[in-house]
Amino acid sequence: MDRTKVKEIMSKALFAIAAVICIIAVVAIFVFLILESFPAFKQIGFFKFLFGANWKPNGDDAFAGDVSGSYGVLKMLVGTLLSTVGALIIGGVLGVFTAVFISRFCPKRIKGIFNTVVNLLAGIPSVVYGFFGIYVLLPMLGFFSPNGSGSGILATSIVLGIMILPTVVSLSKTSIDAVPQGYYEGARALGATHEQAVYRAVVPAAKSGIVASLILALGRALGETMAVTMVAGNAVNYPTGLFKSFRTLTANIVLEMGYAGELQMGALVATGVVLLLFVLAVNLLTGLITGRKKSGGGRKKTAGFLSKIFYKVKLEKIGRYVSWACAIFAGVALVSIVGWIVVNGVSHLSWDFVFGNYSVVDYKRYTIGPSIIATLMVVALSIVVSVPLGVATAIYLNEYSKKGSEFVKIIRTAVDILSGVPSIVYALFGAITFKMWFGGTISILAGSLTITLMLLPIVIRSTEESLKTVSDGLREGSFALGAGKVRTIFKIVLPSALPGIISAVILAMGRVISESAPFIYTMGSSIQPMPDGYMSSGTTLAVALYRFASEGKYMNEAYATAFVLIVIVLGLNLLAEWLGKILNRKLKGETNAVRKKRNS
Amino acid sequence: MRYGKNVTVENAELFYGDFQALKNINIEIPENKVTALIGPSGCGKSTFLKCLNRMNDLVEGCKVTGSFKIGDVDIYGKIDINELRKNVGMVFQKPNPFPMSVYDNIAYGPRTFGVRKRAILDEIVETSLKEAAMWDELKDRLNKSALGLSGGQQQRLCIARALAVKPQILLMDEPTSALDPISTGKIEELMEELKKDITIVIVTHNMQQAVRIADKTAFFLLGELVEYGDTDDIFTSPKDARTERYITGRFG
Ligand SMILES: Nc1ncnc2c1ncn2[C@@H]1O[C@H](COP(=O)(O)OP(=O)(O)OP(=O)(O)O)[C@@H](O)[C@H]1O
Ligand SMILES: [Mg+2]
Repeated sequence: MDRTKVKEIMSKALFAIAAVICIIAVVAIFVFLILESFPAFKQIGFFKFLFGANWKPNGDDAFAGDVSGSYGVLKMLVGTLLSTVGALIIGGVLGVFTAVFISRFCPKRIKGIFNTVVNLLAGIPSVVYGFFGIYVLLPMLGFFSPNGSGSGILATSIVLGIMILPTVVSLSKTSIDAVPQGYYEGARALGATHEQAVYRAVVPAAKSGIVASLILALGRALGETMAVTMVAGNAVNYPTGLFKSFRTLTANIVLEMGYAGELQMGALVATGVVLLLFVLAVNLLTGLITGRKKSGGGRKKTAGFLSKIFYKVKLEKIGRYVSWACAIFAGVALVSIVGWIVVNGVSHLSWDFVFGNYSVVDYKRYTIGPSIIATLMVVALSIVVSVPLGVATAIYLNEYSKKGSEFVKIIRTAVDILSGVPSIVYALFGAITFKMWFGGTISILAGSLTITLMLLPIVIRSTEESLKTVSDGLREGSFALGAGKVRTIFKIVLPSALPGIISAVILAMGRVISESAPFIYTMGSSIQPMPDGYMSSGTTLAVALYRFASEGKYMNEAYATAFVLIVIVLGLNLLAEWLGKILNRKLKGETNAVRKKRNS
Repeated sequence: MRYGKNVTVENAELFYGDFQALKNINIEIPENKVTALIGPSGCGKSTFLKCLNRMNDLVEGCKVTGSFKIGDVDIYGKIDINELRKNVGMVFQKPNPFPMSVYDNIAYGPRTFGVRKRAILDEIVETSLKEAAMWDELKDRLNKSALGLSGGQQQRLCIARALAVKPQILLMDEPTSALDPISTGKIEELMEELKKDITIVIVTHNMQQAVRIADKTAFFLLGELVEYGDTDDIFTSPKDARTERYITGRFG
């Protein structure tokens, strides 16, 4: 009896310790951003920084000794906003109509294929899209461009639009699928055609889910870094023409943080703060929408607005064709990108390229063996640290903390915000803090810790979501039988939430593999030889692809690397789907039969 | 340790934050009888029931005063709460089988209290299912998931699960309100059997059910215990005008 009590207290303490560590990590990022940007803001002036049009870190004429520099991000602010809007227009419109198509117009036979393909595509690393941008899109657009170069706001919007497309489709589709059949049947019963019922009754009813998917996509487009640097041109200009070279806030950070002086670094962190403000605004927007959902009043307004648009363009007449067209276009675009990589990738793949080591001396012959190892090392360490910490924190927040506690609410909000913060902000934190810890040198350890910080909020959030799906009836049932908290958590709550947690872990792995910005200045951007431990430098696969693609000389290596990346990410996605299915079946199925076999 | 089977409550008050959900409740629930709690929605029946196994401890901001005794034990005194819940089982309105096999569902309680031997567990599972009159139905599907059972079977499984830890008292909160008439009938028969060994306290919205199964009936209204007595007396000659109005269906 006393032993159970000790167990209870010990477990609670352990969960609390994990929560405290996570909270410290979360707070550290905010503190870092404020402390590091404060001197820059103070010296430059908050409004001058935000609304200044000149970004000249070295002054107007560095040779004449004018090194004071000027720091204003207005041009990049405009560039970020416009490219995000452009991406939303392209990816959002295509995505929503494709989702309508899959959910309501698609022949049953190919629906399943569409679903799987969309889910798989959502995991493709953004550098792959950037690579496609450089090699296919830019030459194509350059053909129409007055200055012969295809880079600029148009190319960026297209690349970002394609990047967010699968996310929009998959989330919008889920919310359209979730509309009760009664809405559709009700409309049909009143004499509406299939199209009318879909566009006047079903889609407006799914409105808040669709808007939420667009907001999530907006956040991703806003925060994307590496793919953007590959196609934007990166000169500090207002994007005054479709083909004018311009720069986004995220690109600004990654382009200059490698060689920035003190004030300039401060200004870059300040750029990160501006990005954070964007995320805050997006979060507020989401809160407003979901808050409205509950009250119901404002929901009608937006839904009314949506259906008004649908009425105006007489969608119920042409809707079927619009959805078909969008779905075909989106499908062809995505499949041809993947196809392009697969075809070219396979033909440049060799045993030596994938598994061989290479030495820095022999710089003409690159291999990605070292990158694969480095990627695995980063995935292993970041998952091993972030998953136990994150899951334990989520358990503490969801099972132990007081429901209405203000403190927990603040933590939840901070976690929410952090899970939307662009990876480049973590890159800044990692490059400044961890490099400092490890004596100014880059290492796989520093890169892993950086990405761990980024994963923590994601793991906490998705675990909490899975825990919330476990009905309170089960917890009560367990308590009523005299079980304590620990037993209830480990025997009832966690097993029920496990499928959700596992798929979250696999998706987190996918995130690590897809990311590139956080690694560049923490563990190495040029292709590195085989790492001999966590203290050596290393290049992840995504960074290697970025390097090969943006240098222009290693086309074949880029194809092969992109192919390997896609195979790994798709493999992970399939694994997640399969494991989810198995676990769900096991949960509902013959748990004891399995145990009995093991026992005998 | 064994608690008694009779419940004595004196001057009980309960607050959810500032809201008073129970007002000066005094009641003696006899052993080996079925006691029904009736009253309109929100009058505090579930709240009172949950005081008896301290499930209210899980509710934030819930304060209880007064004396609750089971046998001679003051259950709000220095006791082991898990031990209390072992003595006072509970069945909920919505069947809540755990997502595991039938066997594991029933073995969950005994395992909680340290029973590990397979043979003993097998025996407990068999007797509990027999007590719940389910053994013949389920003996061939012990290893199948409990989630595959029908609603009525799930609820009887939950009763068997509660019986597996050998409680002295069984609390039931509207256990049949989500079930069809046949399943309801089975559970009512079951209670008739069970009360030979244990005390049953049941919340019900169905007055016919109270008349059919309960020896004693307590009528709650707005957090007060308005009237309590033999079921026959309550339904044939209620002393309080409010009781009469309620049982003749004029409010609630
Ligand atoms: N966790 C809680 N927090 C605050 N108030 C509560 C809580 N649970 C119940 N109440 C309030 O206490 C009162 C009694 O609730 P209780 O659930 O005991 O009613 P009941 O008689 O069981 O009703 P029903 O027949 O609908 O189940 C109600 O007014 C209810 O709103
Ligand atoms: Mg109730």
